[in-house]
Amino acid sequence: MAETVLEVSGLTVGRAGEPAVENVSFSLAAETDTALVGPNGAGKSTLVQAVLGILPRQAGEVRLLGAPLSRTGRLPAAVRAQVAYLPQQVTVRGRFPLTVAEFVGLGWEPSGLRLPWIGRHAREAAVRTALARTGCSDLADRLISALSTGQWKRVLLAFCVVRPRRLLVLDEAQAGLDPQAAEQFQSLLFDLRRSEGWAVLQISHDLDMVRRTCDRVICLNRSLRCVGSPDHALSPAQLERLYGRAYVPYHHHHHSSGGSSGTVTHR
Amino acid sequence: MQRALLAGLFSGGLGGLLGSVAVLRQLSFFSDALGHSALLGISLGVLLGVEPTLVLIPFAVLFALVVGQLVERSRLPGDALLNIIYSSSLAIAVVVLRLVNSRAGSLEQLLFGDILGVSWPDVALQGGLLLVVLGYLLLTRRSQILVSLDAGLAVSQGVAVAWQRLAFVVVLAVVVALSIKAVGVLLISAFVVIPACAARLLSESFGGYMAAASGLGASCGVLGLLASGLLDLPSGPSVVIVQLLAFLAALLFSATRGMALRG
Repeated sequence: MAETVLEVSGLTVGRAGEPAVENVSFSLAAETDTALVGPNGAGKSTLVQAVLGILPRQAGEVRLLGAPLSRTGRLPAAVRAQVAYLPQQVTVRGRFPLTVAEFVGLGWEPSGLRLPWIGRHAREAAVRTALARTGCSDLADRLISALSTGQWKRVLLAFCVVRPRRLLVLDEAQAGLDPQAAEQFQSLLFDLRRSEGWAVLQISHDLDMVRRTCDRVICLNRSLRCVGSPDHALSPAQLERLYGRAYVPYHHHHHSSGGSSGTVTHR
Repeated sequence: MQRALLAGLFSGGLGGLLGSVAVLRQLSFFSDALGHSALLGISLGVLLGVEPTLVLIPFAVLFALVVGQLVERSRLPGDALLNIIYSSSLAIAVVVLRLVNSRAGSLEQLLFGDILGVSWPDVALQGGLLLVVLGYLLLTRRSQILVSLDAGLAVSQGVAVAWQRLAFVVVLAVVVALSIKAVGVLLISAFVVIPACAARLLSESFGGYMAAASGLGASCGVLGLLASGLLDLPSGPSVVIVQLLAFLAALLFSATRGMALRG
């Protein structure tokens, strides 16, 4: 059996006094791509942020690469370095004087005190390689504020690939991308995941994409509703349980590229 | 004059250097409030009969910590809360100073800065602080950028965000407290904000931005104090006017380069 990268048991997280995520348990194996789906306000981002130690948890345990996440959200630096997180939005990107190469370099550097010129050559080489692999070489000297959404997402992937990682957590990485750019991003992510051996946990609203690219689906609506293969977890009956009866039938297109079985039909 | 120019170099450089991060962290208004409230610390010193600088540093640090927590936890908008705190600090301080010491001249010096009041030990302290702040920002550069960019991203990259925020606010408070004598409580935040904003307009990278902010801060400090000495003008306003000219020049430069305000 593949190594367990992430183990969550009995996780409960509150937001503004209300439980936003209740008693959630699941685990992720290495080299798998898992989608986290659920309606708006289901606690998907909250869950992911609690798993990473960004939000405090009320109860439960989280283990990343075997190391327990402390109550205050601390992890050993060696574990942290192997986990990357792509937030939905970086709020101040538009006002930040930071080049793409400088930003990606931050992903390479270990945490802790460090003078900027220590390991500069190794950093620059790693940044160049990462930018080349994500098709961003021509963006190296551009300011991150000057990038389009599609370019920015690729730069975020460069930030992840600049050092070896085990787990990648994406919060609606496709949000804001047009269908073509989303497709490109997804295929780049797919290639990198394969070659890097990343375990991926991604929040997504694009169930069609989830069917084609993910091998596991976790359905969340405050508590865990189901876990399983896309065929099982995204079956009409499960979707109705997750999104409620008012759920608008999801238009499923049969894509030749994907391995989906097309279990959702028009109702 | 030598002493004044060195004080300008150090306090200007400090303001620009720290300001480059403070502005990105959206602490411009916070530093303004910190500066204004410092007068309360000074009046406290006068009241207790202690050298104001000695009271000012612990006062500013404590003030920054308490107010920082208050703003974070309150349901009121941060800028409104800061306004209440700094205007009432200023009001209380002016009344206390007037009751204890009725010389009007001393109040103006406190408000707008008096470079003649800066002693050699003050200058040495500022020089030392400049080195400390430079080392601090270089060593924590990665954390500073990540925290300013996105707190969640910073945590996920192993940055202790709460501690980094706390440390920065403490350093900012110490710098403000030590620069107050030369700059004055009303204009101290300009030292933090204006060179950084001018640098932002001119820079194409983070390294360049920090270098430009501290370089502009230091040179405006020297030029402003030179003008203040030659024309017998109050030191704080003279430096701020030079900073404003530098900012306008940067604006013009970036506009002609087609970057405009949005960079």
